[in-house]
Amino acid sequence: MAPYRRHVKGQPRSHYIGPVVTTEQTPLECHEITKVFGDNVAAARSRLADGCDRQTVLDQTGCLVAVRDATFSVERGETFVVMGLSGSGKSTLIRCLSRLIEPTSGTVKIDGTPIGDLDDHELRELRRQRLSMVFQHFGLFPHRRVIDNVAFGLEIQGAARADRYERALEVLSVVGLGDWADHFPQQLSGGMQQRVGLARALCVEPEILFFDEPFSALDPLIRRDMQDELLSLQATMRRTLVFITHDFHEALKLGDRIAIMKDGEFVQVGTPEQIVSSPADDYVREFTEDAPKTRVITVGSVMRPLDGEAPAGAPVSLDAVLDDVLPRLLASPAALPVANAQGDVVGTVDRDRVVDLLGENSRSGAAGAGRSTGRP
Amino acid sequence: MTAAAPPATGSSAVAGAVEARLALDRRRRTRSGSELAVGIAIVVAAQLALSAVGGFPESWAVGLADWIDDARRWVINNQTTHWSFSFVFNPISDSIDWGLRTVERFLLWLPWYVVAAAGGMVAAAALGMRAGLLAAAGVMYFGAIELWSESLQTVALMTVAVGISVSIGVPVGIASARYDRLRRSLRPLLDAMQTLPAFVYLIPVVLLFGVARVPAIIATVVYALPPVIRLTDLGIRTVSPATVEAAEMFGATPRQTLLKVQLPQALPSVLTGINQTIMMALSIVVIAALIGAGGLGQVVLESLRRLFVGRALEAGLAIVVLAMLMDRVTHGAAGLGARRRRLRLMPDSLERLGFVRAIEAALGSADRALCTLGALLARPLRDAPGLASLARRPRWVLGLLALAVATLVSAVVGRPGFPSAISFSFAPAIDWLVDWVRDNLYEIGGTWFGTGWFSDSITIYAVTPLRELFSAELAWPVVVLAVALAGWRLGGAPLAAFCTACAAGLGFLGMWTLSMDTLAQVIVAVVMAIVCGIPLGVLAARSDRFERMLKPVLDFLQTIPSFVLLVPVIIMFNVGRIPGIIASVLYALPAATRLTNLGIRGVEGEATEASRAFGATRGQTLRKVQLPLAAPSIMAGINQTVMLVLAMVVIAGLVGGGGLGLETVKGLRRTDSVGSGFVAGLAIVLLAMLLDRLLQAWTRRFTPVEGGP
Repeated sequence: MAPYRRHVKGQPRSHYIGPVVTTEQTPLECHEITKVFGDNVAAARSRLADGCDRQTVLDQTGCLVAVRDATFSVERGETFVVMGLSGSGKSTLIRCLSRLIEPTSGTVKIDGTPIGDLDDHELRELRRQRLSMVFQHFGLFPHRRVIDNVAFGLEIQGAARADRYERALEVLSVVGLGDWADHFPQQLSGGMQQRVGLARALCVEPEILFFDEPFSALDPLIRRDMQDELLSLQATMRRTLVFITHDFHEALKLGDRIAIMKDGEFVQVGTPEQIVSSPADDYVREFTEDAPKTRVITVGSVMRPLDGEAPAGAPVSLDAVLDDVLPRLLASPAALPVANAQGDVVGTVDRDRVVDLLGENSRSGAAGAGRSTGRP
Repeated sequence: MTAAAPPATGSSAVAGAVEARLALDRRRRTRSGSELAVGIAIVVAAQLALSAVGGFPESWAVGLADWIDDARRWVINNQTTHWSFSFVFNPISDSIDWGLRTVERFLLWLPWYVVAAAGGMVAAAALGMRAGLLAAAGVMYFGAIELWSESLQTVALMTVAVGISVSIGVPVGIASARYDRLRRSLRPLLDAMQTLPAFVYLIPVVLLFGVARVPAIIATVVYALPPVIRLTDLGIRTVSPATVEAAEMFGATPRQTLLKVQLPQALPSVLTGINQTIMMALSIVVIAALIGAGGLGQVVLESLRRLFVGRALEAGLAIVVLAMLMDRVTHGAAGLGARRRRLRLMPDSLERLGFVRAIEAALGSADRALCTLGALLARPLRDAPGLASLARRPRWVLGLLALAVATLVSAVVGRPGFPSAISFSFAPAIDWLVDWVRDNLYEIGGTWFGTGWFSDSITIYAVTPLRELFSAELAWPVVVLAVALAGWRLGGAPLAAFCTACAAGLGFLGMWTLSMDTLAQVIVAVVMAIVCGIPLGVLAARSDRFERMLKPVLDFLQTIPSFVLLVPVIIMFNVGRIPGIIASVLYALPAATRLTNLGIRGVEGEATEASRAFGATRGQTLRKVQLPLAAPSIMAGINQTVMLVLAMVVIAGLVGGGGLGLETVKGLRRTDSVGSGFVAGLAIVLLAMLLDRLLQAWTRRFTPVEGGP
């Protein structure tokens, strides 16, 4: 096993929410994870090996292929979003990553250690020390006060009451629930309950956090608040996050990279910009049609390379999304200079380029409205 | 729309389709009608052909009773020598006996006021101050009617029996929640255990352990075990899986998950199970007086036997007090009752009065002062491991301290007996009432009308003809055939075979006539209970006010042990079959009423609203929407009614109900007829299983959607 940071009883814990100590290893690597549900798994696996599709396997063996050959890795501090509609296998996938569900085949490596080889005790230690999870329906313990919910992870590890309460209060104030420690979860609103869920996950200082559709049970406005809050938390703590959602907008907003999942398989993996600007197939395109492209696509991807003299005016940044520069662009008839991080002008962007893109957007948007995508 | 279609052909096509549909429905209806008709025809034809056969031939009976008597004799002769007694039964028996005697001696050693205060404190903690005072008064009632030691004997018996039940039941429930295979194998056993009337458990226990208090406890434990196992299992299984998954994700061991997540969330369910176990234990502990359990049951039994109705009622009331106390306290502890946070002594309506509020305010500040004192005293406990939770309850600390001091002081100074100044007896008044009822209500004002007429008419027009019909006029193969046909129609060949076996078994046991007697009583009582109970349930469902009025009555009827219910009925109707039947009706009524009410109220609001929106009258809504949707629940109510009636009719054997009950009681009372008692008990089991299976099969037909995806 990798040298895990272990809490020694009686010694003070390092109380902070900041960047974790980095090691050289990739925190999470998954190689060809497959999960088959049913009574005849062996037969289903051999069908899969023959290249049968999911429906054929179901018809022939009665087994459901929930996840098929999911391969990906997540870098330290990265937010990796798995987006798919219900039944696409994303919840199964995230449970395979911590062996809440045993994958049928494939390997999951956490900090280079294949977790499939761990025995019960080692697996428990792994979950205690390094992983955490936020659940769709919160999974709060209704019989425990908020503070005891948050301190649960430390309690399980055998921390003294005073230590774990101190830490729990600290985390509760981070999520803005410092005054609610002595309430019971049912006394809180949905959004507050999920903050408790988040605090509970953060309390054990995990290096990897799994989010299983954490905000989908919340009202749209609350959901947006929670997304913003997660973004700002992530900006300071830089943990490794795996985030499951069925909401494409949420995926675009939160993800450093996004995997689009359909029928148990990854259809496309890429940055939000890559997915929006070049969807891999029609399935992905349907999601991108009403996506807010101007908030995803960066200036860099639409600029023309510098050709001769740089135009006058203050340069816009290469990494800015179109939304940020739109007012200036529309107001100026001439092209604007684009500068890279070092401040060197490397290209130009003009109104026509962007109008072309937006026009394409609205055309496909209108076409999309005709076909019902089944999404709001 | 198909406006373009020619109107003439369109309407004729529609008319044709409608005609076909109506014909189909008619055929369906006549088919089920004709099945019934054919069934009846077969039964009638069989009766005509076999009219000379009559009851089950006695010579066919298997001599089971003699074998049992032989076994009993063997047990008595080998009790001291055989290994199974010296290594299994006697040690069990001895340790239970030791436990019982210890608890009993301790309770009787405590001065009466300490017991009363302890009862009050427990009730106060669970339900609030007012309940606490009532509970203390209730405990004092035991002393006031001079049944102190009998009451505490019953309490001791209960404590030991419930203690054993819970310490077996909770772990078994936990195991059954974890291992599906265990659960599957336990289920039929638990189902059977809950179907049987309490009484039946006493007989095999008597066979093995003889007549005394220990067998009474063993029978009680066996009888009371199912609810705590079931509800522990249910409680753990219904814990939200998300929380269990969360615990796993945080690296909790299975043990930590059980102790910190599953059990705490299952606690209300477990406590409900314990509550049911306590109530069942209480009902059988009283009946167990038949096999020498002693205590309050003994007093009721003896008094009834000598027709000292007043004394029986006094002791019966003590049992009711005990039942209410235990029921309410465990109910409150399960968090099911409304918990009162504020200190209240008076009914809320009196709070308008200034002095009442002043008294309550004064008591409130006294309480706060005491709490502060308690907290001060509890401070040293805070760091003691295991006592930390006690330290957070200053009232408990003070109370326990006060009890301990009082006990110690009286141990040194000498224990005062229950003061005779408080004692009273209303037995003479009741006895006078019984006489008055006999003189005045049996025939009111010298006319033909009165309770005497009521019980005579039921006897003459319902019970006797039915009994004659079943046991003598109908040939026994016809009865078996009718039962088999019913079983076949409701549940196919397996049920038909089961029913045939049960019905024929009654004959082979040599219990045909007695069983038919009991069956006749059950049928009359069930019809009465349903005729009264279901309309009451419908009324309760339609009027909140009526429901509120009915609730305490039903609560009361469900809380008092079956045995005690006989006493007031005897006051009204004298002894015989009829009081047994009336008591059964009263005993079973709450089930029919409650489940009808629940069923109708459980109908989705939208269904009722939709019906109203289409302009249905209340009657139409009831008939076309609510009753059909409530049918499964109502059927479950009828099923329960039948089982409760059967249990009660058997107990009514004690007061001249006759039938299987009387035979069983005789077996319990006299050692020489253990065999026939056992056989009668077995016949009750067969009858119970027969009725239960038939009714369950019938209930299933009302469940709207079977299976599903």
